[in-house]
Amino acid sequence: MSDQTQFYLSTLLIYLFIDIIGVLGLNLQFGVAGIINFAYIVFVAVGAYTAAVLSLGPDYPGNFQHYVFGANLPFPLPIVAAGVASGLLSLVVGVISLRRLRSDYQAMVMLVLSLIATLVATNATGLVNGPAGLATVPQPLYDWLGLAPLDYQWAYAGWCAVLTAVIFLFVRGITNSPLGRSLRAMRDNDRAAAALGKNVTAMRLLIFVVGGAIAGISGAVFVEFIQAWSPGSWLYPETFVFLAAILVGGAANNWGVMLGTLLVPVGFLEATRFLPQVFYNGFIEAMQWVCVGLLILVFLWFRPGGLIPERAGRYKPRAEAPSGTSE
Amino acid sequence: MNQLIPAIGFGLITASILCIAAVGFTLQFSVTNILNLAYGDIMTACAFAAYLANHAGVNIWLAMVIAALFGAVFSVVINRFVYFQFVRRGTRLFGMIIVTIAMSLIIQNVLLAIFRPTFFSYHTSPGPSYNFGGMIFTASQLAIIGIAVAAMLAVHLLSTRTKLGKAMRATATNPSLARSCGIATDQVIDVAWFVSGALCGIAGVALVLNTATFSEVTGAGFLVPIIAAAILGGIGQPYGAMLGALTIGLASEIAATVISPSYKDVVAFAILIVVLLVRPQGILSEVATAKEVAV
Amino acid sequence: MTEQDAPILSVRDVQRDFGGVKAVDGATFNAQRGRITGLIGPNGAGKSTLMGIVAGAIKPMAGTVSFEGRDITGQPPHRIARHGLIRTFQLSAEFAKLTVLENLMVAAPGQKGESLLGAELGPLYWGRSEASLVRTARDVLDRFAMAPKENELAGNLSGGQKRLLEIMRALMAKPKMLLLDEPFAGVNPTLAREIERYLLDLRAEGLSMIMVEHELAVVERICDPVVVMAQGKVISEGSMRDVSARKEVLDAYLVG
Repeated sequence: MSDQTQFYLSTLLIYLFIDIIGVLGLNLQFGVAGIINFAYIVFVAVGAYTAAVLSLGPDYPGNFQHYVFGANLPFPLPIVAAGVASGLLSLVVGVISLRRLRSDYQAMVMLVLSLIATLVATNATGLVNGPAGLATVPQPLYDWLGLAPLDYQWAYAGWCAVLTAVIFLFVRGITNSPLGRSLRAMRDNDRAAAALGKNVTAMRLLIFVVGGAIAGISGAVFVEFIQAWSPGSWLYPETFVFLAAILVGGAANNWGVMLGTLLVPVGFLEATRFLPQVFYNGFIEAMQWVCVGLLILVFLWFRPGGLIPERAGRYKPRAEAPSGTSE
Repeated sequence: MNQLIPAIGFGLITASILCIAAVGFTLQFSVTNILNLAYGDIMTACAFAAYLANHAGVNIWLAMVIAALFGAVFSVVINRFVYFQFVRRGTRLFGMIIVTIAMSLIIQNVLLAIFRPTFFSYHTSPGPSYNFGGMIFTASQLAIIGIAVAAMLAVHLLSTRTKLGKAMRATATNPSLARSCGIATDQVIDVAWFVSGALCGIAGVALVLNTATFSEVTGAGFLVPIIAAAILGGIGQPYGAMLGALTIGLASEIAATVISPSYKDVVAFAILIVVLLVRPQGILSEVATAKEVAV
Repeated sequence: MTEQDAPILSVRDVQRDFGGVKAVDGATFNAQRGRITGLIGPNGAGKSTLMGIVAGAIKPMAGTVSFEGRDITGQPPHRIARHGLIRTFQLSAEFAKLTVLENLMVAAPGQKGESLLGAELGPLYWGRSEASLVRTARDVLDRFAMAPKENELAGNLSGGQKRLLEIMRALMAKPKMLLLDEPFAGVNPTLAREIERYLLDLRAEGLSMIMVEHELAVVERICDPVVVMAQGKVISEGSMRDVSARKEVLDAYLVG
């Protein structure tokens, strides 16, 4: 296999794992707990920015970019900090904006927050360098490992694989437990869940924070690979790519959403990258977004459960036969 | 202080455009209980329709009529063939919002694919300027304000004086009751979307007339102020939308002049988020607690 | 008054307005232990609002609600449920994407594995209590003859089966008192007789209940005492026979 192919494949693999982490977090919030978070990409961005400003060296006058902190922290501290930062922000946002609103209003609140966040990041130039964003974010352990660039990529892919596995097990630990069951009940009918003694506000906030932290980790690992991050990387429609992956793959099913991630952000969007540029540069990108929209509509219409639908709990069957039937 | 008067002038123009748009938006909500987040993109599509007519030689004001018709038909088609189909299936409220956002993505990017990422403008001149005690308006802008007033009057008369208007209000308040009184709610909904689609088209062209150049994202960029105006006034209430439009139009322009130009957008965002979190029913409405989509 | 005679639920001078309309206007009544107390009255009398207030879904503007001697006024629904006051809903409130068995299991209070840490500790931690929960739930299914539907998604049940599910789920929540919101509305007569039997059995086992109901025939058969509401107030209390003879009650139903 040529070096060029290997570079491409390893990059694709890294993107796949990072997207899976992101999708698992949103699936926990939306698919399992029914929290409508149309601002999810903001928490990915906060993680990315946090990791970036903590990995970069200190800012100085005359620097081509301006930002806060600049602590030059070594791996894996920026990633941990990213998860914490996104988690904390989720807590604040959750407390303020998760309300007993009609669900489309709730969706709009989050969407507007997403737009506000973009406004703030673009205009507050000293914070994270405004519209130009940050660049030259150091890749973790690059010098210490001393690997050739291609080998480093494969190592990075391996690291992402491990992280993805850990997060998958963590998320699955929730969904396959009594907590997961209570979350799904809350999603299906939160009034009834509350009437049975479930503290839905606390559960919702908990999952919002956990999902937010996972988003932050996804962003951190992403920025440490591509080494740059700007408002253009996290516009509000990006949340809908994740959403499309969830709808296509199967909401609330961890394996389903991983399949959806393989198919949508990675498979579909990457495959169409190889199509020759027709009409003009950027036509393909526009059509990709049209297809994301169409995918969402088609799946919502034909197969809202997704390719691998949610699995309701199965328990060990009884030893003896049950009695009678009603109706 | 002498900056304030011209700012109020700008505010009135923005308020006029916002008024037309917000009343259309709120009308769609009132009869179908849907927040149509593709509304801004439909405005853009209408603006492009006018562009095509205009560059084929049609006068811009006539092109606006064409755009209004296009918007009317387009909106009815989208509601009938997409939104209503999902509603009939039992899609819940946030499911519908996902549908409208998907629609928005599709429309915006189809426009991008067709017209390419560049800027467009109409073949028209703003006309002579007039000074009203410190507020300066071009003839075009005065026309826009005039159109807004006329449109609001038309909506008011339609809503209160005609049988159709009464049927729309009945459908908006209680669809099943309206049906049992013999009102053909399906057709009433079509008409409501036709009218609101026309308003959408007029607003789209007016928006472009006021901003000189436009691209496929122009309408979408106006969506937040539209929603803010509609929700501030009380979603589903046309008079509320007018009130909200006036408030936000004036507030944005005054903030832009008095504080800084980048604050123009911020005002609409801030008002919307505060209203959603503090008083989601807005000034005039009682809606906000969970009410599922009207069928 | 001995400990046994003290009312299990006590509602005092509760008031609640909605946009200027007095939905509940100084309602006062007691519910006794081990009885099925009926709550009846014409449309608009304020019964649902009062139920909502007792269950914690609506905050009263004035007045108190006490359960087993403890003041629960204004507490959120989940805390009131934890005290043992469990409400059922009139319209289907099943967890549609969960199986019937899961619907029952989720209702049980105090489950290991419901906290984040507990969940992550895995089946080693919560496996044993889960298994016993499965057994308890299956016992309830057997009792209501719904065992074959164990793995059916609750959203696919018939209307009548959903009603039974509502009651079974409430039982799993270890209630000391049930608040039944029109359990017989729109139910076919055969199922209605079944539900009546189940409720009487539960009463015999000592479960207290309040039942809001319009079907006066059922109320007459299984409720004692009956509380009558009209225009936001409690206008009469007593057995169905006594109450249906009183002038103020007849007037209220005629005026509506």
